Amino acid sequence: MADSYRQTTQAKLARMGIYAMLFLLALWFLAPLYVMLTTSFKSLDDIRSGNLLSLPQSFSLDAWKTAWDSACTGVECGGMKSYFGNSLKMMIPAVLISTLLGSLNGYVLSMWRFKGSDAFFMALLIGTFLPFQVVILPMAQVLGMLGLENSTGRLVLVHVIYGLQFTTLFFRNYYVTVPSDLVKAARIDGAGFFLFFFKILLPISIPTIMVCLIWQTTQIWNDFLFGVVFSSGDGQPITVALNNLVNTSTGVKQYNVDMAAAIIAALPTLLVYIVGGKFFVRGLTAGAVKG
Amino acid sequence: MGALSIRKVKKSYGDTHILKGIDLEIENGQFLILVGPSGCGKSTLLNMIAGLDDITSGEIYIADRLVNNLSPKDRDIAMVFQSYALYPNMTVRRNIAFGLEIRKVPKIEQDEIINRVAKTLQMEHLLDRKPAQLSGGQRQRVAMGRALARNPALFLFDEPLSNLDAKLRVEMRTEIKLLHQRLGTTIVYVTHDQIEAMTLGERIAVMKEGEVRQFGTPQQLYDLPSDLYVAGFIGSPSMNFIPCVLGEADGVGVVTLNNGKDQLISLGQISDIQRPFVGKPVILGIRPEQLTDPASAHSDHPNMQILTAMVTITEPTGPDTLVTVNINGVKTVARCHPRAAGVPGQSVQLSLDPTKALLFDPVSEKRLA
Ligand SMILES: Nc1ncnc2c1ncn2[C@@H]1O[C@H](COP(=O)(O)OP(=O)(O)OP(=O)(O)O)[C@@H](O)[C@H]1O
Ligand SMILES: [Mg+2]
Repeated sequence: MADSYRQTTQAKLARMGIYAMLFLLALWFLAPLYVMLTTSFKSLDDIRSGNLLSLPQSFSLDAWKTAWDSACTGVECGGMKSYFGNSLKMMIPAVLISTLLGSLNGYVLSMWRFKGSDAFFMALLIGTFLPFQVVILPMAQVLGMLGLENSTGRLVLVHVIYGLQFTTLFFRNYYVTVPSDLVKAARIDGAGFFLFFFKILLPISIPTIMVCLIWQTTQIWNDFLFGVVFSSGDGQPITVALNNLVNTSTGVKQYNVDMAAAIIAALPTLLVYIVGGKFFVRGLTAGAVKG
Repeated sequence: MGALSIRKVKKSYGDTHILKGIDLEIENGQFLILVGPSGCGKSTLLNMIAGLDDITSGEIYIADRLVNNLSPKDRDIAMVFQSYALYPNMTVRRNIAFGLEIRKVPKIEQDEIINRVAKTLQMEHLLDRKPAQLSGGQRQRVAMGRALARNPALFLFDEPLSNLDAKLRVEMRTEIKLLHQRLGTTIVYVTHDQIEAMTLGERIAVMKEGEVRQFGTPQQLYDLPSDLYVAGFIGSPSMNFIPCVLGEADGVGVVTLNNGKDQLISLGQISDIQRPFVGKPVILGIRPEQLTDPASAHSDHPNMQILTAMVTITEPTGPDTLVTVNINGVKTVARCHPRAAGVPGQSVQLSLDPTKALLFDPVSEKRLA
């Protein structure tokens, strides 16, 4: 009795220790966000007089307005809004196409193996280890050969190609856990390659689809390097615009506008995690518990 | 009319030969069992019949039609899988309807079929559930329903009961047998359970390492197994194999069995095939139920042989007790009446039915008939 009592108090203490640690870590990671948020609501005077961690003296949305539609990004002074649109226009097709193609690839690589399909998969795997920098030059040459001029089009193509290996990997790893009897049953029922894919396989892939959507959305939205290299002028994505905005010096450094712009640029990925986070975790562990 | 005819079917993956020339033939309405140890090629053969995999050489006819080059959906077959292979995203109703839709069966007819099948298998109340909401036995039922809905010329079952618990397995076994009797369907059924094979099959093909060792009725396999493998595989507890030397006395085959002392046992008229083995080692095959206490021996054969042996262990099963004795240095099991089983260390008398005793060549392992 006394023994078990001691054990439970010990366990409780240990648990409290863990929670305290987690709380501190959470604070540590949230601190930059706090600084960004408070700074974006401060006026420039407020920033100069107060310290980094203080709350705004008067709450103002001016910096956000400026960041959205009048801040200068280089010679242009139209704010972030058109670049936000650029990023959306590039991200949505790139995410959808790479996810769909990835699931098709995964389907073939797991259920319709062909001679050399394993070697093919290995090659794709190597692709996931290649850093962006390695891809840039050959990619530029290919784009040049294709004669693709439109910035958005170029970026969609680049992101689809670079993302395919990841989406293929996700889907393939899920599909190898799907019993092969399912394909056989469907073949006997008369379902062909695409009918099985669309009517049976895709509907049971929702968790993996979510993982791909989230992964690709964050990868593509947050990408800076491909954006800077393969797009130009008013076709640039928001990450490049943010960089330009922060680096454009017209007199005083407007920290509040910089912060607001940075938050705007990060908002979609934040949202995706908040909305889809639980799917992400569920999708990553799917297959392991499939009955 | 032949329902299924398999002629010289071979299958190789590169240099590994999985099926080494299979010949099987069954009539309409027959229940064929493919039985054998794991990895012997049962599923492979079933997949070939279904058309899920190409054969390397040979011919397969379903309902007298050469199907070698037909796709699975055109072979007029339905298949029930070990894992059930129900479509997880669809309700039971949609699972059954899927194949019908693809075949463009009119909607009204589909509903009729689904209702009929659901009634046959008593699963009307399950129709709107998803597979995840079903128990193992219910999934099994749905998988069978999906096959029944198509009313094909040939049903293929790949170990459909092996994922069920023991009690349910026996229930479903009976149900499948009833269904077969009622609907008169032709079935090819894969199992590695010899009891399932014996109870269900009208024809059994015992397979090993990609070959059919014996093809016949359950009784043929039981009474006259073609070789040591089949003899040992069919029947539980399995047949005793006692090494001995064949002798001959006045045209009758004799062997000496030893448990402490030599006892001469005469078997019966020696056959022409057996005669060359006189003076050579053979293996005497005798099933436990043909080695029993004299009071339980049903045979009124005048030549009933009596053998004395010391009990090493007894295992009561309820109706009878399995008595293990040592004969010619090997463990030999006799099936005795519980009251005549004796106790370890005691000597008991066992009567051996010479008409049921089999002889095997220890080298070729073939039965010497
Ligand atoms: N694609 C393949 N490539 C090479 N060998 C294979 C392939 N598919 C099956 N085999 C081999 O063929 C043999 C027979 O397999 P099969 O699945 O037919 O066995 P089985 O009799 O159904 O066994 P079980 O009772 O375990 O289901 C096995 O040894 C297996 O390793
Ligand atoms: Mg098998």
